[in-house]
Amino acid sequence: APAEAVMKSYGRTKIGSISALKEGKPAKFNYPDKNTENFLVKLGTPAGGGVGKDADIVAFNSLCPHMGGTVTDGGYHHADGIMGPCPFHLSTFDLTRHGLIVAGHATQALPQIQLETKGDDIFAVGVMGLIYGRNANLG
Amino acid sequence: MSVQKYTSKDSVPLPPKNAEVLTTACDYCIVGCGYKVFRWPVGQEGGPKASENALNANYPVEPLSGKWISPNMHNVVSHNGQLHNVVIMPDFDSKAVNISGDGSIRGSAISQRCYNPTTPTYDRLKSPLIRVHGTLMPVDWDTALDIAAELSNYVIAKHGEHAWAQKTFSYEFYENTYALTKFSLKYINTPAFAWHDQPGPGGATEGLDDAGYQVFAPAYWDWGNSDVLFMSGADPYETKTILFNDWILPGVRERGMKLIYVLPRETTGVAFAEKNGGLFLQITPGTDHVLHLAMVRYIIEQGWEDKEWIAKWAANGWETDAGFGRGTRNTPWQWRTTWGGVFQTNGWDDFKKWLLEQKESDMAVASGITGIPADKIKKACEMIAKPKADGSRVKTSIGFEKGLYWSNNYLNTLSMGNLAMAIGTGGRPGQMIGRFGGHQRGGMSGGGYPILKSPEKQEGRRKKPIDLDRWVMDEQVRFAHVVGTTWTSAMSGSQVLQDVMNKLTRLNPHQVTSLDKQEIIATLKKRVDSGGMVIVNQDIYLRDPIGAKYADIVLAAAGWGEDDLTRNNGERRLRLYSKFYDAPGDAKPDWWIVGKWATKMGFEGFDWKSSNEVFEEAARFSRGGIQAYDSLVWVAKKNGLTGHEALRKLGTTGIQTPVLMVPENFTENRPGQEYVGGVDAKGNTYDFLKWNGFKVIGTVRVHDIDRKLPDTGASVRTFARKWYTHFNTHTGKINVLKAAWSLYSDFFDDIKPKDDELWVTNGRINEIWQSGFDDVERRPLITQRWPENWLEIHPNDARKRGITNGDYVSVTSNRVPVQKDYNQAVFSGDFSYAGLKKQGHIEYHTASVSAVAVVTPQVKEGVTWMYFLSPKQSVNSLTPMVTDPYTNRYRFKLGVGKVTRMGDSPYKKSFEAMSFGRRNIA
Repeated sequence: APAEAVMKSYGRTKIGSISALKEGKPAKFNYPDKNTENFLVKLGTPAGGGVGKDADIVAFNSLCPHMGGTVTDGGYHHADGIMGPCPFHLSTFDLTRHGLIVAGHATQALPQIQLETKGDDIFAVGVMGLIYGRNANLG
Repeated sequence: MSVQKYTSKDSVPLPPKNAEVLTTACDYCIVGCGYKVFRWPVGQEGGPKASENALNANYPVEPLSGKWISPNMHNVVSHNGQLHNVVIMPDFDSKAVNISGDGSIRGSAISQRCYNPTTPTYDRLKSPLIRVHGTLMPVDWDTALDIAAELSNYVIAKHGEHAWAQKTFSYEFYENTYALTKFSLKYINTPAFAWHDQPGPGGATEGLDDAGYQVFAPAYWDWGNSDVLFMSGADPYETKTILFNDWILPGVRERGMKLIYVLPRETTGVAFAEKNGGLFLQITPGTDHVLHLAMVRYIIEQGWEDKEWIAKWAANGWETDAGFGRGTRNTPWQWRTTWGGVFQTNGWDDFKKWLLEQKESDMAVASGITGIPADKIKKACEMIAKPKADGSRVKTSIGFEKGLYWSNNYLNTLSMGNLAMAIGTGGRPGQMIGRFGGHQRGGMSGGGYPILKSPEKQEGRRKKPIDLDRWVMDEQVRFAHVVGTTWTSAMSGSQVLQDVMNKLTRLNPHQVTSLDKQEIIATLKKRVDSGGMVIVNQDIYLRDPIGAKYADIVLAAAGWGEDDLTRNNGERRLRLYSKFYDAPGDAKPDWWIVGKWATKMGFEGFDWKSSNEVFEEAARFSRGGIQAYDSLVWVAKKNGLTGHEALRKLGTTGIQTPVLMVPENFTENRPGQEYVGGVDAKGNTYDFLKWNGFKVIGTVRVHDIDRKLPDTGASVRTFARKWYTHFNTHTGKINVLKAAWSLYSDFFDDIKPKDDELWVTNGRINEIWQSGFDDVERRPLITQRWPENWLEIHPNDARKRGITNGDYVSVTSNRVPVQKDYNQAVFSGDFSYAGLKKQGHIEYHTASVSAVAVVTPQVKEGVTWMYFLSPKQSVNSLTPMVTDPYTNRYRFKLGVGKVTRMGDSPYKKSFEAMSFGRRNIA
């Protein structure tokens, strides 16, 4: 008989603080578990899913959802709000638009980490999209 | 304001251990990557441990494992009437093409193409439709095809086979193209025939064909194993994804290969080339021909030409004439190569003398016309031609595509051949010239084109194939069978063609008002007798306008994954594309539809029971061609297999054609041999490909001058062709033909932008490439990225017009030239653009399309760029409806227009869809 369905949900984890963020300087953090690397960045321009008073703080998973390259190794282009290129096959992602592919091969946007703020604290509360390598974000 | 938003899922089901595994290849671009299909009933799921899933993978998997399943690789389909999960992913065991298990944004989401009523594929056509009182209504196959058959017979008998037209794809599998052309060309024998991408039959790159080059000669190995790769009119990063990722990119990173691009627009591949010692020649549209003239001249002046190669392979005048000139001159390739010195030379020295006299070959003049700085042109020449210090030559390959041959078809391809000749390119590993290609190669002709019936000719007895668009505009077509193409938005002057089709169909007084079969037939007979036209449209979706507005009968087609079908990719690799799920409703494969229709018309030989029967029948017609697979089928049958079964055993590797039959003890080891197919892991031919002391082998590349084939073969099955190891001419040498700018400059000078007009050129993009029939409107991933057609415009041009990112702009021209009539030239120069204008055959029309502005310095100033094939915002509306007089091909890349800001689009402020991010980051 099929196992009874169990609802799994993402936790709410503090991942940084607004005052510590420097515009255009991505900062790494782990979520939804300690093995999963993501980056947090203040874009300086409003963005889809952005938090903070300027709605410009966003976070994404670091692995390219094409073949798993670490997109932060390719560099962040602050003037464009673009992350990449992925060092493997040059995919780039628009951080102002939910990580939508700009050019490249991934069949989904860069998974966006959903954020909330309380005072100066920034919390991760969920992940939109499947993280490279996994069959489910929550195991 | 809300726009389309899409969020990917955060989990995906894993195929359980007992999932069935089938192989196929991607249905989209020409690269043709190998794919695996995992299929298992819904309600089951594998686990994340290797022991629990069919991929034998522990999740999470490592980067580059090829075993990650993205949510877009999964779908739920019907198989034998039961719901099944499918995961369709790049073949991580692939031994060719995508050997790393890599996949593109299109192929890796191809599972979303499968019909699933809960996805945007819900509106797949499921049965034939007949238009009654303007509404298309479902009917059964016999009703629809009885009407199509009786009307066809009526039109042919009363108005002639010229009045019965077929406009069809050339790529959706051998079984279908063979059946379609057996029907139209062999049995109906109509000259009113055109493929999906050109207004008449014939080749796409005739200049190179006339010189003797097979444009699909190279193997993917060659593109990654040159010293320099010279690319024109295409960026394989955008339009040959896995060829770039798995062959070219490693060539650059691991072997130091240098890339040179000739394009009007800086793409990702260009940025990558420049970052890695390559070069970007940012050209003004339509001027490649002049670039080639100047490059060949400069190479000669520097003494860098490959003299040894030229001495051995350049045909002299007599040799060129000997093959063609002594027979009839009524085929285009015959008259072009022998036409009183218009193109013909007396060999290389004569060509050289001519070239040095051409003012456009002067570097300064060429730089002015092409808009490329002279030092860059010289640098390109040095990179591709200057001998190394030890005297050895640089290995240069030349790859090109539509930016080249869709702006000046004959002369661009002819002059490109001269450039190859000058530097010794063509015929050697890593030193090849060829098309990168568009769609996969699925054309197999079931009949020859009856050129003697064509209504067109040059002066004298020089026949030309038909321009079917002009034939429609002349109101000569009474019945049109349109298969798998939008026709209008795919052809130049789209809006002009639409107006004519609308007039001949919807505005004709004879409209169907009853489902009574005889009444329908009687009404449509009156339509055709009154000068109107009946359209039968066969496709997988209802297309607007060809099906949705103009067709009286719509036929529901089944395609990829819905039947066993076969086709070649861009390196001539033949594979089986397995059926793995049920077609929607009562949709049928094209070969079945045509078979039933032809049988109802009284034709024999169309009662096929399976796609394999068609494949095997078509085999003998492949002989002698670059796609020859006859030997494979013959040997398979000797070993008790069907043709399809043999291919199924060859999996995603397949075999590279032409397939030859040779003595069993013959061996060869050409560069790239390891990918050729037909052999096991040890390199031995599979037993099912051997018979009675013979075996079949594949062909890594053609024009492979150092390949040594056996003196004897099983000659009954193998047509030995000289071009396997020479070039495709009578002598096996290369015809040196000259290409004068004056043969084209009358057109170019008239069409180029005037006053505040800009070039409105067009192209493709990685996210939508040979997949627009499927993903643009129906794949949320892609509709979010590109919800509408867009216009890239340089910041300086945008500023003058007050345009910023996300504005709706109108792109309008009142100078769309249309050749309204005239098809038989009498005097020399009649068909030239100047001649047509002088005699009043050119009319200027107005066309207008909207687009979303993307302001970017990537595109050359004075040039704008739109996506090529958007049915709703068709850039082809603006392109000239006048063909190249020598080849009847459109100059699709040469639209012009005035660009004006209208207002804000929904994408201007929304974060949910469309990105204005630049693509030139590498």
